[in-house]
Amino acid sequence: MIAATVHDVHRRYGRTQALDGATFDIGSGVTGLLGPNGAGKTTLLRILATVAAPDSGEVTVFGRHPANATERTEIRRRLGYLPQDPGFQRGFSVFEFVDYVAILKELSNRRERHDEVRRVIEAVDLTSVSGKRVRALSGGMKRRTALAASLLGDPQFLVLDEPTAGLDPEQRLRFRELVSHAGEGRAVLLSTHQTEDVAALCQDVVVLDKGRALFHGSPAELSALGKGRVWFADERDPHAELAWRTGDGRVRHLGTPPSGAATVEPTLEDGYLLLVGRFDEEAAA
Amino acid sequence: MTWHIPEPMALAYVSGEVQGARAASIEAHVMTCATCRSLVGREVPTDRLDAIWADVEELVDAPRPSWAERLLTRVGVPESDARLVASAPSLHLSWLTAVAGVLAFAAWASQNGDRGLVLFLIVAPIVPVVAVAGAYGRWIDPTYEVSVSSSYPTMRLLLLRAGAVVVASGVLAALASLLVPDARVAAAWVLPCLALVTVTLALSRWLPLLWSAAFVATCYVMPLLGGLHQDADVLAFVISRAAQLTALVVAAAAVTFMFTDPQLRAALRRSQ
Repeated sequence: MIAATVHDVHRRYGRTQALDGATFDIGSGVTGLLGPNGAGKTTLLRILATVAAPDSGEVTVFGRHPANATERTEIRRRLGYLPQDPGFQRGFSVFEFVDYVAILKELSNRRERHDEVRRVIEAVDLTSVSGKRVRALSGGMKRRTALAASLLGDPQFLVLDEPTAGLDPEQRLRFRELVSHAGEGRAVLLSTHQTEDVAALCQDVVVLDKGRALFHGSPAELSALGKGRVWFADERDPHAELAWRTGDGRVRHLGTPPSGAATVEPTLEDGYLLLVGRFDEEAAA
Repeated sequence: MTWHIPEPMALAYVSGEVQGARAASIEAHVMTCATCRSLVGREVPTDRLDAIWADVEELVDAPRPSWAERLLTRVGVPESDARLVASAPSLHLSWLTAVAGVLAFAAWASQNGDRGLVLFLIVAPIVPVVAVAGAYGRWIDPTYEVSVSSSYPTMRLLLLRAGAVVVASGVLAALASLLVPDARVAAAWVLPCLALVTVTLALSRWLPLLWSAAFVATCYVMPLLGGLHQDADVLAFVISRAAQLTALVVAAAAVTFMFTDPQLRAALRRSQ
């Protein structure tokens, strides 16, 4: 099932070309969107969440076009969106905020709406603080509050912009469980800087850089881009594209290995770093 | 010897047949006796317990309505719409206090000659326009992104909030106008205000609300200030029948134009 399509999408903000011909499809399951800062991830997510419109190109969600007002409303009824920087109404408690978003999602029956609010608050493990003011909560709890709001109404397409930012390791594990469950039979698009989240959760990965989709495939295929290009040495090799000393004192290198170097199995992060690095070289050439 | 509630009595209690002092006695005993608590608990239907628990949860969780929300529901606005409207930043008490302060200053200034009267005629119609700009928008509403991506009609939200804030700030302006010494001036702000607000809303079809309000306010204020600078009789102009009629025509045209918007018509249909 194709949940969303993005075809040759361009979007410019002043002098910045945020999206420059991005093209890919999003199927069911969890799709990770990786890319460096300024790659156009948030712009793309805002377009898919029908918050912004592209300058050119075509976007469809469940076969419907966001440019058409009627179809846009149909998309929004099946959408859950967690913005990168979610804001909160002044003075609202967790319950009041999620209830407010539930009204915006047209859950008008008070009793049913409150039941649904309780369900999503429990799903993100915030029941014990549901009466507390959002502004008094930690960053991670605020993020989970916004995540709860995005889960209202059991959306068929969940668009999450950096949902794990500010979460501690335990919360991240709980989040993975939640998203993995949400991805069953639905589509989840997850923008993140955390390659571990993508490796742990996603069936598909899109790497975006400079407004273009550089890669679209499985996490294993992204890792495989680093095949034969990752090696360890006792000292730093100046010819490596990237090198860092690891916890065991040895230096992990990415790039073209010297002859005789014993390469190791690459991780998804290795594949991603090499891909984004190679793009820079190609652009400069 | 420890006494326990006989099973027939427990059954009678659960079915509501035991009342008054005897029921109170059973309840007091159940609080301290685990055996009887278990017996009574077994007999109470699960669906009844669930319903009671759901009612308790509802009472505990139910959001406390703000003063604006209570007022809106009292005048017939549905509970869900009242929540969205009352969250408009320009309905917050701090905002309304600031508006009251500005209007009080303008009303005081109106008692100090023609220039003061013109100041009131500038401030009173602009205040509701600023309130509309402060009701909804990207830079105003902290939940703007989420509200735009939701299925609730944006135009409906905007109109509901605009209506509420115009009434609130309009009432404050009307109260301030009671302090204005010239009765013609005290009433002359209403039609320009109506025109400015409706044109602001009509322009928001193309411009962000904030820009639209800024543009409309500038178009109203600058010529008046220019006239004052050139010692023209700005006061006579604003209260003239021609200027008032023009404001009425502009307001009517803006409303008519807004009704050509299918989104607005859809939003109004939804409210019927």
